[in-house]
Amino acid sequence: MPRILTRALGPLRRSTGLQRGMLVTGLVLTALLVLVALFAPVLAPYGFNQLRDAGGPFGAQQHPSGSHLLGTTVGGYDVLSRTLFGARTAVLVIVVAIVASILVGVALGLVAGYFGGWLDRILVVIADAIYAFPSLLLAIVLSIVISHGQSQLWGGILAAALSITVVFVPQYLRVVRAEVLRVKTEAFVDAARVIGSGDVRIMLRHVLRNSTRTLPVIVTLNASEAILTLAGLGFLGFGIEPTAAAEWGYDLNKALADVTSGIWWTAIPPGIAIVLAVLGITLVGESLNDLADPRLRRRRGLRRTAGAADDRALEPDGVPRMTTTKSDPARAGADDAPAVVSIRDLSVSFATDDGAVEAVRDVSLEVRQGEILAVVGESGSGKTVTARSVLRLLPENATTRGAVVLRSRDRERAYDVASLDHAGLRQARGTDVAMVFQEPSAVLNPVYPVGWQIEEGLRAHRRLSRTERRAAAVDVLRRVGIPEPEVRVDHYPHQFSGGQKQRIVIAMALALDPGLIVADEPTTALDVTVQAEILDLLRRCRDEFGASVLLITHNMGVVADLADRVVVMHDGRVVEQAPVRDLFRSPREEYTRELLAAVPSLEPVTSARPGAPAATPVPNSRHRPQGSQAQGQPAIEARELVVTYPGRLGRPGATAVDHVDLTLAPGEVLGLVGESGSGKTTIGRAIAGLTPATGGSLRVLGTEVRGARGRALRAVRPRIGFVFQDPGTSFNPLLTVGDGVAEPLVVHGRAANPAAARDRVVELLESVHLTAEHARRYPHELSGGQRQRASLARALALEPDLVIADEPTSALDVSVQARVLELFADLHARLGFACLFISHDLAVVDQVADRIAVLHRGRVVEEGSPATVLRRPEDPYTQRLVASVPVPDPVEQARRRTERLAARG
Amino acid sequence: MTTPEVLAAEADPLLPISSAEPSADPGRRRRGGGLAGYVLIRMLLIVPTVFILVTLVFFLMRLTGDPITASLGGKLTPDQLAERVHAAGYDRPVLVQYVEYLGDLLRGDLGTTISDNQPVTHVLTQYGTATLELTFWALVVALAVGIPFGMLAARHRDRWPDAVLRILAILGYATPVFFAGMVLKLVFAVGLGWLPVAGRASTSSEIAFTDLLHPSGIAIVDAIQLGDPSVIGDVLRHAVLPALTLGLLTGGVFLRLVRTNMIGTLSSGYVEAARSRGVGERRLLRKHAYRPALIPIITVMGLQIAMLLGGAVLTETTFEWKGLGFMLAQYLQARDFVAVQGIVVLLAIVVAVTNFVVDVVAALIDPRVRY
Repeated sequence: MPRILTRALGPLRRSTGLQRGMLVTGLVLTALLVLVALFAPVLAPYGFNQLRDAGGPFGAQQHPSGSHLLGTTVGGYDVLSRTLFGARTAVLVIVVAIVASILVGVALGLVAGYFGGWLDRILVVIADAIYAFPSLLLAIVLSIVISHGQSQLWGGILAAALSITVVFVPQYLRVVRAEVLRVKTEAFVDAARVIGSGDVRIMLRHVLRNSTRTLPVIVTLNASEAILTLAGLGFLGFGIEPTAAAEWGYDLNKALADVTSGIWWTAIPPGIAIVLAVLGITLVGESLNDLADPRLRRRRGLRRTAGAADDRALEPDGVPRMTTTKSDPARAGADDAPAVVSIRDLSVSFATDDGAVEAVRDVSLEVRQGEILAVVGESGSGKTVTARSVLRLLPENATTRGAVVLRSRDRERAYDVASLDHAGLRQARGTDVAMVFQEPSAVLNPVYPVGWQIEEGLRAHRRLSRTERRAAAVDVLRRVGIPEPEVRVDHYPHQFSGGQKQRIVIAMALALDPGLIVADEPTTALDVTVQAEILDLLRRCRDEFGASVLLITHNMGVVADLADRVVVMHDGRVVEQAPVRDLFRSPREEYTRELLAAVPSLEPVTSARPGAPAATPVPNSRHRPQGSQAQGQPAIEARELVVTYPGRLGRPGATAVDHVDLTLAPGEVLGLVGESGSGKTTIGRAIAGLTPATGGSLRVLGTEVRGARGRALRAVRPRIGFVFQDPGTSFNPLLTVGDGVAEPLVVHGRAANPAAARDRVVELLESVHLTAEHARRYPHELSGGQRQRASLARALALEPDLVIADEPTSALDVSVQARVLELFADLHARLGFACLFISHDLAVVDQVADRIAVLHRGRVVEEGSPATVLRRPEDPYTQRLVASVPVPDPVEQARRRTERLAARG
Repeated sequence: MTTPEVLAAEADPLLPISSAEPSADPGRRRRGGGLAGYVLIRMLLIVPTVFILVTLVFFLMRLTGDPITASLGGKLTPDQLAERVHAAGYDRPVLVQYVEYLGDLLRGDLGTTISDNQPVTHVLTQYGTATLELTFWALVVALAVGIPFGMLAARHRDRWPDAVLRILAILGYATPVFFAGMVLKLVFAVGLGWLPVAGRASTSSEIAFTDLLHPSGIAIVDAIQLGDPSVIGDVLRHAVLPALTLGLLTGGVFLRLVRTNMIGTLSSGYVEAARSRGVGERRLLRKHAYRPALIPIITVMGLQIAMLLGGAVLTETTFEWKGLGFMLAQYLQARDFVAVQGIVVLLAIVVAVTNFVVDVVAALIDPRVRY
């Protein structure tokens, strides 16, 4: 009980200012409504249907007086008493209507959303039809049916409540269905399915509880709507007889004629009662909605950083000392070049619910004329905040200290960005400094042609005619390499590919010829072959357009490819800065050394050098298990495998996997690599039975999976473990990590319940270097790396013969990735499972796989040992792919780049 | 995916749920379908919507018994009643009646009212224009209030103008239309005597309208036809209170709708990117944030037509505005379910067609559908 109380009070404690005022007002009004409903007989001076007392009849339409504080109605009732009793009717109707509509609506929504198909379609069409119709009219029709339009207390209340229920059910159905559809796509539902949980278990244990978080809001809002509908019914003469119960709408109906003759007291009290009741309940719902999600999420984020320390194998002891740039002899020559931007002692903190969080502490750095400066660091290092403060593009809750001195393009002026007024800031943005963002499709406005968007910058800063602006837009598009710019200038963002979109974003930055371009993870959202092209373009920004570049990235390969000088950040501070070759050759700081060591690399592969003797095929038996499992049937055998996603409305479907042959021997690790859309994830999902194979044959652990359902699949499932990409969503947020890891054990009868599986769970968690204490925590209380390790523990719970790992480390920082990969190798050596390791990162696959298959547009283009595929690729696509990966070594990368550009001609 | 629909991330609880559910229609806003295909599919969706509502209303109404007994029961002898029921065919199996009803409906025959023995289609054409006029005025008020104030609230998010506007919008939502109408009437018509209490025009204007060769039934159009400024003024004065009553209710919802979607687009990547290029705040608001927000706004506004029509019934009753809503209430009192059914069916068709038109307009604005 106390726990329920604290949870109920939670929103109140979290609220602030206006929100708290709204919530408190709402709660008070709602409490008042309930109290009046409960104690109406005590509070009201007369009964709601009382026409006379000892002194004789009350009389009709009497003015307010001592005996009738609010006068009497046209029917001769006491207005105050009827208004107070009206609360009873309202509350009764609300309760009946809401309970009924939740029961029906949630059940229908769950079924429709979970199973989909024709049942879903029919329910949605019916719900939409009812929803689009004026709810009051529907309620009228229903109340005619139920009570013939007039009735006694219970008949009337039921009629009103049921009429309202029918109106609400479609709303609950739609909300719950939408939530279920959302939850269904989350990895933890897939995880439950892979484990082999049945539909009912998944629906009740995983989907339902995660789909009802918006219900409190909907319930309160429906409660207010119920009052309004009830009043509307009463107003139109479909209320409850005045002798059976007091109902505000009915009284207002009777008061309508009074108003014309200036009698106000019969109309105002019931009207005000409705307004207050609806207002109270609405305010509660409104505030709940405001408070429910975003803040909770923010808190989770904070807690996560608290646990993140555990991830860092490379935690530097104490505060990293900043290597002073002055003492660095290597960059002495560049010293003369003037700084385009110079950041001095910059500190940025964010005001949050839990006090100020410092994101950047005393950072000093400068970008010199014609230089590309890379700022690298892992998540939370403060690199993005530092970059954004150059344009003062920080959220409102940020407080900045220190100076950001920007030099104008003509080098005449230098000014502190922090002290600019609004107009000055506008002037600086775009002309002196421009920004390139991470996600090109998010920064292009979908409803305007790209040319218009480029022109916006020109319009803001220069007086040009329409034709001049257009010519400038075409020109800059041509210069960033968009073919046919005269035509493409009028196209909309969705008509371009991802790489082209990023070119357009760069074009926008270049349009005003700024002195400095701040590029925040400009290639992170792109495939590696596209990344190489965008990196070339960024280099041209400097070489041909004369812009200096402040590059923010987490990717050491990108740094090695592009940067002249590097600043390493960690935990909001600058750890080290040095020219790029010095940094990679001889990092000074411990943190930098460990960071570089953690980066997986294709680099030792120098054998690809022309003329060099072919590398001896390394017996890639690092993790080869000893003994039994090495022989026997293959873990996976795909022959001519086809997976097609059904097209919409009779259009042809998309073929994601196109006649693929694959074999995975017991105990072997097969790396499946490819860019986005290559079909690699689809293959993994087909093997796990999450996506049906539509052609060819797919044998998993000896069982034909194509067309198999039910029992056949259930027999294979305990022998397959699955590790998902996003550790954030692969655990049910409402179950503890321990319960999550216990799921497979419970589902397959190895334990009666999670409590019984405890010992085994602890054992599993310990095998991934977590403790029993972690089992008691909820997923959001673990760091990303810890969650991914727990995910590994869950995949291994049933000692599977096959593990499918779908991009298991892509969401992790390099240092965390290094530890997870190490752990993976360890477990593989010990347990000897076969593994399909899916990744876009060639270097990671190189590190773990015995064999590699390269996918391109749904087909396997090349297959073989890492030594052959990654070092001497034969297929042109593989060659291009391998050549595009930037290696974290500036010298080697410069050579590779020249080679690649030469090959392209 | 960063479509504007998704960017309306901050769900507003007082708005229709469908605004929180981006892709209500399967196949919608998909690239490659083409505009013509989209329009066709969307048009075909009108049919099931209307069909479901017609069927629902028909069977629900028949559950109460036949319309003649409902209306005249007690007023006629059982023999006379039975005779009338038989003559109207209400003693045949319900399914036969249903099929016949659908057939009549397709031919545009909605039957004859029981209480005043008029063809239902005649009632619809006679009173429909008044409802059309009221909803038009209300829509003008709602848009004039909703869009500018919604933008204002979004721009000053979480500061005092936003707080005041939000509270006013909630208050607007919490006040039943008829009560708002009664208070306005009490103050401006009865108390101050500035505006007429009820009706669409004064008697003298109504008489003047009878001289017209082609009366449109829409008071303002007829008044302009007459060309008499005093009649125009009279008609406008009559429209003020009903339009405000209904318009402010809808306007509050529009305000929230605009605010929510504008906040979504204002915090989007493309607005920030435009800001990073030095585009001014006003232009960001009016060009960069407004247009992408418009698509979901228009879609949801279409859904508000239902609310507007429901409110029209109550507003018309409050102001004795003789439109379909007013007549609906009258026929309900008379238990004339043939007439009620006819009016409900017409409104169902109006709602379905309006939603279709609105979706097509939204699609026309959205380049991802157009190209």
